Amino acid sequence: MEFFQENIHLAEVVVQLVAFLIVFALLKKFAWQPLLSIIRSRRERFEDEWGEIEKAKQSVAALEKDYRAHLQKIEEEARAKMQEAVQEGRRLARDIQEKARLESQTSFEKAKASLDLEIEKARLTMRREIAELSIRVAEKILKEKMDADSQEKKALEILGELEKKL
Amino acid sequence: MNVTEQHIAAAMQAAAPAQEHATEELPNFITLLEHFFPKSHFVHFLFSWENLVFSLLILGFIGVCSIRAARKKEFIPRGAQNRWELFMEGLVDFVTGILGPRGIEHAPFLGTMFLYILLQNWLGLLPLMKSPTSAWSTTIALALITTVYVQWVGIKEHGLLNYLKHLAGNPVGIMGLALIPLMIVINLSIEFLAVPLSLSLRLFANISSEDKLLYKFAELNVMYHWLPFFFQLFANILVILFSFIQAFVFLLLSTVYISLIMPHDHEEGPGAAHEKTIRPDHLTTN
Repeated sequence: MEFFQENIHLAEVVVQLVAFLIVFALLKKFAWQPLLSIIRSRRERFEDEWGEIEKAKQSVAALEKDYRAHLQKIEEEARAKMQEAVQEGRRLARDIQEKARLESQTSFEKAKASLDLEIEKARLTMRREIAELSIRVAEKILKEKMDADSQEKKALEILGELEKKL
Repeated sequence: MNVTEQHIAAAMQAAAPAQEHATEELPNFITLLEHFFPKSHFVHFLFSWENLVFSLLILGFIGVCSIRAARKKEFIPRGAQNRWELFMEGLVDFVTGILGPRGIEHAPFLGTMFLYILLQNWLGLLPLMKSPTSAWSTTIALALITTVYVQWVGIKEHGLLNYLKHLAGNPVGIMGLALIPLMIVINLSIEFLAVPLSLSLRLFANISSEDKLLYKFAELNVMYHWLPFFFQLFANILVILFSFIQAFVFLLLSTVYISLIMPHDHEEGPGAAHEKTIRPDHLTTN
Protein backbone atom coordinates (compact mmCIF):
# COMPACT_ATOMS: atom_id res chain seq x y z
CA MET A 1 0.00 0.00 0.00
CA GLU A 2 2.91 2.30 0.78
CA PHE A 3 4.25 1.74 -2.70
CA PHE A 4 0.95 2.93 -4.18
CA GLN A 5 0.84 5.95 -1.88
CA GLU A 6 4.41 6.87 -2.75
CA ASN A 7 3.99 6.56 -6.47
CA ILE A 8 0.40 7.57 -7.15
CA HIS A 9 -0.54 11.15 -6.33
CA LEU A 10 -4.26 11.41 -6.84
CA ALA A 11 -4.23 15.15 -7.48
CA GLU A 12 -1.54 14.71 -10.12
CA VAL A 13 -3.51 11.91 -11.75
CA VAL A 14 -6.64 14.05 -11.90
CA VAL A 15 -4.80 17.08 -13.26
CA GLN A 16 -2.96 14.95 -15.85
CA LEU A 17 -6.28 13.45 -16.87
CA VAL A 18 -8.01 16.80 -17.23
CA ALA A 19 -5.04 18.35 -19.05
CA PHE A 20 -4.90 15.52 -21.54
CA LEU A 21 -8.64 15.62 -22.15
CA ILE A 22 -8.57 19.38 -22.74
CA VAL A 23 -5.66 19.14 -25.14
CA PHE A 24 -7.19 16.14 -26.89
CA ALA A 25 -10.48 18.01 -27.36
CA LEU A 26 -8.62 21.05 -28.74
CA LEU A 27 -6.44 18.97 -31.02
CA LYS A 28 -9.40 16.97 -32.27
CA LYS A 29 -11.23 20.15 -33.21
CA PHE A 30 -8.39 22.28 -34.51
CA ALA A 31 -5.79 19.80 -35.74
CA TRP A 32 -6.91 16.23 -36.28
CA GLN A 33 -10.23 16.90 -37.96
CA PRO A 34 -8.87 19.57 -40.35
CA LEU A 35 -5.90 17.37 -41.22
CA LEU A 36 -8.09 14.31 -41.66
CA SER A 37 -10.54 16.29 -43.78
CA ILE A 38 -7.67 17.56 -45.95
CA ILE A 39 -6.39 14.01 -46.38
CA ARG A 40 -9.93 12.75 -47.07
CA SER A 41 -10.67 15.50 -49.59
CA ARG A 42 -7.33 14.91 -51.29
CA ARG A 43 -8.01 11.19 -51.42
CA GLU A 44 -11.50 11.82 -52.84
CA ARG A 45 -10.05 14.21 -55.40
CA PHE A 46 -7.44 11.66 -56.39
CA GLU A 47 -10.10 8.99 -56.64
CA ASP A 48 -12.29 11.29 -58.76
CA GLU A 49 -9.35 12.14 -60.97
CA TRP A 50 -8.44 8.48 -61.24
CA GLY A 51 -12.05 7.83 -62.21
CA GLU A 52 -11.85 10.57 -64.82
CA ILE A 53 -8.58 9.16 -66.10
CA GLU A 54 -10.13 5.70 -66.29
CA LYS A 55 -13.11 7.11 -68.16
CA ALA A 56 -10.81 9.04 -70.50
CA LYS A 57 -8.78 5.87 -71.03
CA GLN A 58 -11.95 3.95 -71.86
CA SER A 59 -13.15 6.65 -74.27
CA VAL A 60 -9.69 6.79 -75.87
CA ALA A 61 -9.75 3.02 -76.22
CA ALA A 62 -13.24 3.20 -77.79
CA LEU A 63 -12.07 5.97 -80.10
CA GLU A 64 -8.99 3.97 -81.03
CA LYS A 65 -11.19 1.00 -81.77
CA ASP A 66 -13.44 3.18 -83.93
CA TYR A 67 -10.47 4.67 -85.73
CA ARG A 68 -8.99 1.26 -86.30
CA ALA A 69 -12.29 0.02 -87.72
CA HIS A 70 -12.48 3.15 -89.82
CA LEU A 71 -8.91 2.68 -91.02
CA GLN A 72 -9.64 -0.95 -91.82
CA LYS A 73 -12.68 0.13 -93.80
CA ILE A 74 -10.66 2.78 -95.63
CA GLU A 75 -7.95 0.25 -96.40
CA GLU A 76 -10.50 -2.21 -97.69
CA GLU A 77 -12.10 0.50 -99.83
CA ALA A 78 -8.69 1.57 -101.12
CA ARG A 79 -7.82 -2.02 -101.90
CA ALA A 80 -11.15 -2.49 -103.73
CA LYS A 81 -10.62 0.74 -105.66
CA MET A 82 -7.12 -0.32 -106.57
CA GLN A 83 -8.45 -3.64 -107.76
CA GLU A 84 -11.06 -1.78 -109.79
CA ALA A 85 -8.37 0.50 -111.23
CA VAL A 86 -6.21 -2.47 -112.13
CA GLN A 87 -9.17 -4.16 -113.78
CA GLU A 88 -10.02 -0.94 -115.60
CA GLY A 89 -6.40 -0.55 -116.69
CA ARG A 90 -6.31 -4.09 -117.97
CA ARG A 91 -9.57 -3.56 -119.83
CA LEU A 92 -8.24 -0.33 -121.30
CA ALA A 93 -5.02 -2.07 -122.32
CA ARG A 94 -7.01 -4.82 -123.95
CA ASP A 95 -9.16 -2.27 -125.77
CA ILE A 96 -6.11 -0.35 -126.90
CA GLN A 97 -4.45 -3.54 -128.06
CA GLU A 98 -7.58 -4.57 -129.92
CA LYS A 99 -7.92 -1.15 -131.47
CA ALA A 100 -4.26 -1.11 -132.45
CA ARG A 101 -4.58 -4.57 -133.92
CA LEU A 102 -7.64 -3.52 -135.93
CA GLU A 103 -5.92 -0.35 -137.08
CA SER A 104 -2.82 -2.26 -138.13
CA GLN A 105 -4.98 -4.77 -139.97
CA THR A 106 -6.80 -1.96 -141.73
CA SER A 107 -3.62 -0.14 -142.67
CA PHE A 108 -2.07 -3.45 -143.80
CA GLU A 109 -5.05 -4.15 -146.00
CA LYS A 110 -4.95 -0.59 -147.34
CA ALA A 111 -1.24 -0.92 -148.05
CA LYS A 112 -1.82 -4.26 -149.70
CA ALA A 113 -4.63 -2.86 -151.83
CA SER A 114 -2.50 0.12 -152.93
CA LEU A 115 0.40 -2.26 -153.66
CA ASP A 116 -1.88 -4.45 -155.74
CA LEU A 117 -3.06 -1.39 -157.56
CA GLU A 118 0.51 -0.28 -158.16
CA ILE A 119 1.45 -3.77 -159.43
CA GLU A 120 -1.55 -3.77 -161.70
CA LYS A 121 -0.58 -0.31 -162.97
CA ALA A 122 3.00 -1.42 -163.52
CA ARG A 123 1.82 -4.54 -165.21
CA LEU A 124 -0.34 -2.50 -167.58
CA THR A 125 2.49 -0.08 -168.28
CA MET A 126 4.85 -2.96 -168.91
CA ARG A 127 2.42 -4.63 -171.22
CA ARG A 128 2.05 -1.44 -173.13
CA GLU A 129 5.79 -0.95 -173.34
CA ILE A 130 6.34 -4.58 -174.39
CA ALA A 131 3.80 -4.08 -177.09
CA GLU A 132 5.53 -0.89 -178.21
CA LEU A 133 8.91 -2.56 -178.13
CA SER A 134 7.65 -5.52 -180.02
CA ILE A 135 6.28 -3.24 -182.68
CA ARG A 136 9.54 -1.31 -182.72
CA VAL A 137 11.57 -4.53 -182.94
CA ALA A 138 9.40 -5.72 -185.72
CA GLU A 139 9.73 -2.37 -187.49
CA LYS A 140 13.51 -2.52 -187.23
CA ILE A 141 13.65 -6.08 -188.41
CA LEU A 142 11.54 -5.20 -191.34
CA LYS A 143 13.52 -2.04 -192.17
CA GLU A 144 16.97 -3.53 -191.84
CA LYS A 145 17.85 -6.70 -193.49
CA MET A 146 20.26 -8.20 -191.26
CA ASP A 147 22.21 -11.42 -191.12
CA ALA A 148 21.44 -14.09 -188.58
CA ASP A 149 24.16 -13.01 -186.15
CA SER A 150 23.24 -9.34 -186.16
CA GLN A 151 19.56 -10.29 -185.87
CA GLU A 152 20.34 -12.31 -182.81
CA LYS A 153 22.49 -9.51 -181.43
CA LYS A 154 19.77 -6.98 -182.00
CA ALA A 155 17.20 -9.12 -180.38
CA LEU A 156 19.46 -9.59 -177.34
CA GLU A 157 19.94 -5.81 -177.07
CA ILE A 158 16.25 -5.26 -177.14
CA LEU A 159 15.72 -7.91 -174.51
CA GLY A 160 18.47 -6.31 -172.39
CA GLU A 161 16.72 -2.96 -172.58
CA LEU A 162 13.49 -4.63 -171.61
CA GLU A 163 15.04 -6.26 -168.54
CA LYS A 164 16.47 -2.93 -167.47
CA LYS A 165 13.07 -1.32 -167.67
CA LEU A 166 11.45 -4.09 -165.73
CA MET B 1 45.28 -0.34 -2.56
CA ASN B 2 45.66 -0.12 -6.33
CA VAL B 3 44.01 2.44 -8.63
CA THR B 4 41.00 0.27 -9.51
CA GLU B 5 40.20 -0.42 -5.87
CA GLN B 6 40.44 3.29 -5.17
CA HIS B 7 38.00 3.96 -8.01
CA ILE B 8 35.56 1.37 -6.71
CA ALA B 9 35.73 2.86 -3.25
CA ALA B 10 35.15 6.32 -4.69
CA ALA B 11 32.20 5.02 -6.66
CA MET B 12 30.67 3.41 -3.58
CA GLN B 13 31.14 6.60 -1.64
CA ALA B 14 29.64 8.69 -4.42
CA ALA B 15 26.75 6.29 -4.95
CA ALA B 16 25.76 6.23 -1.28
CA PRO B 17 23.94 9.61 -1.27
CA ALA B 18 22.36 8.74 -4.59
CA GLN B 19 20.95 5.51 -3.16
CA GLU B 20 19.44 7.46 -0.33
CA HIS B 21 17.69 9.63 -2.89
CA ALA B 22 14.50 7.88 -3.77
CA THR B 23 14.15 8.93 -7.42
CA GLU B 24 17.59 8.23 -8.84
CA GLU B 25 17.02 10.40 -11.88
CA LEU B 26 19.17 12.91 -13.69
CA PRO B 27 18.60 16.46 -12.48
CA ASN B 28 16.19 18.61 -14.48
CA PHE B 29 15.83 22.36 -14.54
CA ILE B 30 13.12 22.29 -11.85
CA THR B 31 15.26 20.29 -9.42
CA LEU B 32 18.11 22.72 -10.11
CA LEU B 33 15.82 25.68 -9.43
CA GLU B 34 14.69 23.96 -6.22
CA HIS B 35 18.33 23.45 -5.33
CA PHE B 36 19.28 27.08 -5.94
CA PHE B 37 16.07 28.71 -4.69
CA PRO B 38 14.85 26.45 -1.91
CA LYS B 39 12.78 29.16 -0.29
CA SER B 40 10.86 30.26 -3.37
CA HIS B 41 7.20 29.25 -3.19
CA PHE B 42 6.84 29.33 -6.94
CA VAL B 43 9.83 27.02 -7.41
CA HIS B 44 8.51 24.75 -4.70
CA PHE B 45 5.15 24.69 -6.46
CA LEU B 46 6.87 23.79 -9.74
CA PHE B 47 8.90 21.13 -7.98
CA SER B 48 5.85 19.50 -6.47
CA TRP B 49 4.12 19.45 -9.88
CA GLU B 50 7.23 18.77 -12.01
CA ASN B 51 5.74 15.81 -13.89
CA LEU B 52 2.73 17.89 -14.82
CA VAL B 53 4.97 20.78 -15.93
CA PHE B 54 6.87 18.52 -18.34
CA SER B 55 3.64 16.91 -19.51
CA LEU B 56 2.17 20.31 -20.22
CA LEU B 57 5.32 21.27 -22.11
CA ILE B 58 4.79 18.26 -24.36
CA LEU B 59 1.07 18.88 -24.69
CA GLY B 60 1.76 22.49 -25.61
CA PHE B 61 4.41 21.46 -28.13
CA ILE B 62 2.10 18.93 -29.79
CA GLY B 63 -0.78 21.40 -29.74
CA VAL B 64 1.15 24.30 -31.25
CA CYS B 65 2.87 22.18 -33.91
CA SER B 66 -0.24 20.30 -35.00
CA ILE B 67 -2.53 23.33 -35.03
CA ARG B 68 0.05 25.31 -37.02
CA ALA B 69 0.39 22.42 -39.45
CA ALA B 70 -3.39 22.09 -39.78
CA ARG B 71 -3.87 25.81 -40.43
CA LYS B 72 -2.13 25.71 -43.80
CA LYS B 73 -4.56 23.31 -45.52
CA GLU B 74 -2.62 23.28 -48.77
CA PHE B 75 -3.55 20.74 -51.39
CA ILE B 76 0.11 19.94 -51.98
CA PRO B 77 1.45 19.76 -48.42
CA ARG B 78 4.85 21.15 -47.51
CA GLY B 79 6.96 21.41 -44.38
CA ALA B 80 5.12 20.82 -41.10
CA GLN B 81 1.84 19.99 -42.83
CA ASN B 82 3.61 17.36 -44.89
CA ARG B 83 5.21 15.77 -41.81
CA TRP B 84 1.95 15.75 -39.88
CA GLU B 85 0.04 14.30 -42.77
CA LEU B 86 2.71 11.64 -43.21
CA PHE B 87 2.38 10.73 -39.54
CA MET B 88 -1.42 10.79 -39.71
CA GLU B 89 -1.62 8.67 -42.82
CA GLY B 90 0.71 6.10 -41.27
CA LEU B 91 -1.36 6.09 -38.10
CA VAL B 92 -4.66 5.87 -39.98
CA ASP B 93 -3.32 2.97 -42.06
CA PHE B 94 -2.20 1.19 -38.90
CA VAL B 95 -5.45 1.81 -37.02
CA THR B 96 -7.74 0.96 -39.93
CA GLY B 97 -5.64 -2.18 -40.53
CA ILE B 98 -6.77 -3.41 -37.12
CA LEU B 99 -10.16 -1.76 -36.65
CA GLY B 100 -11.37 -1.67 -40.25
CA PRO B 101 -12.54 1.43 -42.14
CA ARG B 102 -14.45 2.77 -39.12
CA GLY B 103 -11.23 2.84 -37.15
CA ILE B 104 -10.50 6.28 -38.64
CA GLU B 105 -12.89 7.72 -36.00
CA HIS B 106 -10.45 6.67 -33.29
CA ALA B 107 -7.32 7.91 -35.05
CA PRO B 108 -7.35 11.34 -33.31
CA PHE B 109 -7.47 9.78 -29.84
CA LEU B 110 -4.91 7.09 -30.58
CA GLY B 111 -2.65 9.51 -32.47
CA THR B 112 -2.68 12.07 -29.67
CA MET B 113 -2.01 9.37 -27.10
CA PHE B 114 0.85 7.86 -29.11
CA LEU B 115 2.56 11.19 -29.78
CA TYR B 116 2.05 12.33 -26.20
CA ILE B 117 3.60 9.17 -24.75
CA LEU B 118 6.42 9.05 -27.30
CA LEU B 119 7.50 12.64 -26.75
CA GLN B 120 7.17 12.29 -22.98
CA ASN B 121 9.39 9.20 -23.13
CA TRP B 122 11.98 10.98 -25.25
CA LEU B 123 11.90 14.15 -23.20
CA GLY B 124 14.12 12.54 -20.55
CA LEU B 125 16.95 12.31 -23.08
CA LEU B 126 17.22 16.09 -23.35
CA PRO B 127 19.51 17.74 -20.84
CA LEU B 128 17.68 19.32 -17.87
CA MET B 129 14.43 17.65 -18.87
CA LYS B 130 12.53 14.69 -17.46
CA SER B 131 10.28 11.95 -18.77
CA PRO B 132 6.92 12.49 -17.08
CA THR B 133 6.06 8.89 -17.96
CA SER B 134 8.66 7.75 -15.43
CA ALA B 135 6.03 8.66 -12.83
CA TRP B 136 3.18 6.25 -12.22
CA SER B 137 0.74 9.14 -11.68
CA THR B 138 1.21 10.14 -15.31
CA THR B 139 0.93 6.67 -16.79
CA ILE B 140 -2.07 5.70 -14.69
CA ALA B 141 -3.85 8.86 -15.83
CA LEU B 142 -3.18 7.84 -19.44
CA ALA B 143 -4.27 4.27 -18.78
CA LEU B 144 -7.47 5.45 -17.09
CA ILE B 145 -8.25 7.74 -20.03
CA THR B 146 -7.73 4.82 -22.42
CA THR B 147 -9.92 2.54 -20.30
CA VAL B 148 -12.72 5.09 -20.10
CA TYR B 149 -12.44 5.77 -23.84
CA VAL B 150 -12.64 2.05 -24.65
CA GLN B 151 -15.69 1.57 -22.41
CA TRP B 152 -17.31 4.67 -23.87
CA VAL B 153 -16.79 3.23 -27.37
CA GLY B 154 -18.41 0.00 -26.13
CA ILE B 155 -21.47 1.85 -24.80
CA LYS B 156 -21.73 3.97 -27.94
CA GLU B 157 -21.43 1.02 -30.30
CA HIS B 158 -23.65 -1.48 -28.51
CA GLY B 159 -26.01 0.61 -26.38
CA LEU B 160 -26.11 0.68 -22.58
CA LEU B 161 -28.24 -2.47 -22.23
CA ASN B 162 -25.97 -4.65 -24.37
CA TYR B 163 -22.95 -3.19 -22.65
CA LEU B 164 -24.37 -4.15 -19.24
CA LYS B 165 -25.20 -7.59 -20.65
CA HIS B 166 -21.56 -7.89 -21.65
CA LEU B 167 -20.47 -6.98 -18.13
CA ALA B 168 -22.82 -9.70 -16.88
CA GLY B 169 -21.17 -12.16 -19.28
CA ASN B 170 -24.06 -12.28 -21.84
CA PRO B 171 -25.93 -14.78 -19.69
CA VAL B 172 -27.86 -17.59 -21.38
CA GLY B 173 -29.89 -20.08 -19.38
CA ILE B 174 -30.08 -20.69 -15.65
CA MET B 175 -26.35 -21.30 -15.36
CA GLY B 176 -25.60 -18.02 -17.05
CA LEU B 177 -27.99 -16.16 -14.75
CA ALA B 178 -26.48 -17.82 -11.72
CA LEU B 179 -23.02 -16.73 -12.79
CA ILE B 180 -23.97 -13.08 -13.30
CA PRO B 181 -22.43 -11.78 -10.02
CA LEU B 182 -19.21 -13.66 -10.64
CA MET B 183 -18.99 -12.49 -14.25
CA ILE B 184 -19.66 -8.90 -13.24
CA VAL B 185 -16.83 -9.05 -10.72
CA ILE B 186 -14.47 -10.70 -13.21
CA ASN B 187 -15.32 -8.32 -16.07
CA LEU B 188 -15.15 -5.22 -13.88
CA SER B 189 -11.81 -6.37 -12.47
CA ILE B 190 -10.40 -6.98 -15.92
CA GLU B 191 -11.81 -3.91 -17.66
CA PHE B 192 -11.31 -1.38 -14.89
CA LEU B 193 -8.43 -2.78 -12.87
CA ALA B 194 -6.26 -5.21 -14.83
CA VAL B 195 -6.23 -3.22 -18.09
CA PRO B 196 -5.28 0.17 -16.60
CA LEU B 197 -2.83 -1.46 -14.22
CA SER B 198 -1.07 -3.42 -16.94
CA LEU B 199 -0.99 -0.45 -19.32
CA SER B 200 0.27 2.00 -16.73
CA LEU B 201 2.71 -0.28 -14.92
CA ARG B 202 4.37 -1.46 -18.13
CA LEU B 203 5.01 2.08 -19.31
CA PHE B 204 5.97 3.44 -15.90
CA ALA B 205 8.33 0.54 -15.13
CA ASN B 206 10.06 0.69 -18.49
CA ILE B 207 10.55 4.44 -18.63
CA SER B 208 11.59 4.81 -14.99
CA SER B 209 14.08 1.97 -15.52
CA GLU B 210 15.44 3.75 -18.59
CA ASP B 211 15.84 6.93 -16.53
CA LYS B 212 17.62 5.02 -13.80
CA LEU B 213 19.88 3.43 -16.40
CA LEU B 214 20.82 6.83 -17.81
CA TYR B 215 21.38 8.14 -14.31
CA LYS B 216 23.66 5.22 -13.44
CA PHE B 217 25.72 5.62 -16.59
CA ALA B 218 26.06 9.35 -15.94
CA GLU B 219 27.17 8.53 -12.41
CA LEU B 220 29.74 6.07 -13.72
CA ASN B 221 30.98 8.66 -16.20
CA VAL B 222 31.59 11.10 -13.39
CA MET B 223 33.31 8.49 -11.24
CA TYR B 224 35.47 6.95 -13.96
CA HIS B 225 36.45 10.10 -15.84
CA TRP B 226 34.29 9.57 -18.92
CA LEU B 227 35.63 6.10 -19.60
CA PRO B 228 32.18 4.50 -20.00
CA PHE B 229 31.02 7.30 -22.27
CA PHE B 230 30.44 4.97 -25.20
CA PHE B 231 28.36 2.72 -22.98
CA GLN B 232 26.20 5.70 -22.17
CA LEU B 233 25.91 6.51 -25.86
CA PHE B 234 24.77 2.94 -26.46
CA ALA B 235 22.31 3.27 -23.56
CA ASN B 236 20.93 6.47 -25.09
CA ILE B 237 20.32 4.71 -28.38
CA LEU B 238 18.61 1.90 -26.52
CA VAL B 239 16.46 4.40 -24.63
CA ILE B 240 15.42 6.07 -27.90
CA LEU B 241 14.45 2.69 -29.32
CA PHE B 242 12.69 1.31 -26.24
CA SER B 243 10.83 4.58 -25.67
CA PHE B 244 9.42 4.27 -29.16
CA ILE B 245 8.58 0.62 -28.60
CA GLN B 246 6.76 1.41 -25.34
CA ALA B 247 4.72 4.16 -26.99
CA PHE B 248 3.92 1.81 -29.85
CA VAL B 249 2.93 -0.99 -27.47
CA PHE B 250 0.57 1.41 -25.70
CA LEU B 251 -0.92 2.40 -29.05
CA LEU B 252 -1.21 -1.20 -30.20
CA LEU B 253 -2.87 -2.38 -26.99
CA SER B 254 -5.28 0.56 -26.96
CA THR B 255 -6.21 -0.23 -30.58
CA VAL B 256 -6.69 -3.89 -29.74
CA TYR B 257 -8.92 -3.05 -26.76
CA ILE B 258 -11.04 -0.83 -29.01
CA SER B 259 -11.09 -3.58 -31.64
CA LEU B 260 -12.29 -6.13 -29.07
CA ILE B 261 -15.12 -3.95 -27.89
CA MET B 262 -16.31 -2.84 -31.33
CA PRO B 263 -19.06 -4.80 -33.13
CA HIS B 264 -17.80 -7.18 -35.77
CA ASP B 265 -19.02 -7.82 -39.28
CA HIS B 266 -20.71 -11.15 -38.53
CA GLU B 267 -22.82 -9.45 -35.87
CA GLU B 268 -24.26 -6.96 -38.33
CA GLY B 269 -27.44 -7.62 -40.27
CA PRO B 270 -31.18 -7.43 -39.73
CA GLY B 271 -31.92 -7.06 -36.04
CA ALA B 272 -28.26 -7.07 -35.16
CA ALA B 273 -28.66 -3.86 -33.19
CA HIS B 274 -30.67 -5.77 -30.59
CA GLU B 275 -28.43 -8.78 -30.51
CA LYS B 276 -24.99 -7.23 -30.50
CA THR B 277 -22.61 -8.86 -28.10
CA ILE B 278 -19.27 -7.52 -27.04
CA ARG B 279 -16.35 -9.53 -28.30
CA PRO B 280 -14.11 -10.64 -25.47
CA ASP B 281 -15.68 -14.08 -25.77
CA HIS B 282 -13.35 -15.62 -23.25
CA LEU B 283 -15.19 -13.63 -20.60
CA THR B 284 -18.72 -14.51 -21.63
CA THR B 285 -20.85 -17.45 -20.64
CA ASN B 286 -22.87 -19.04 -23.41
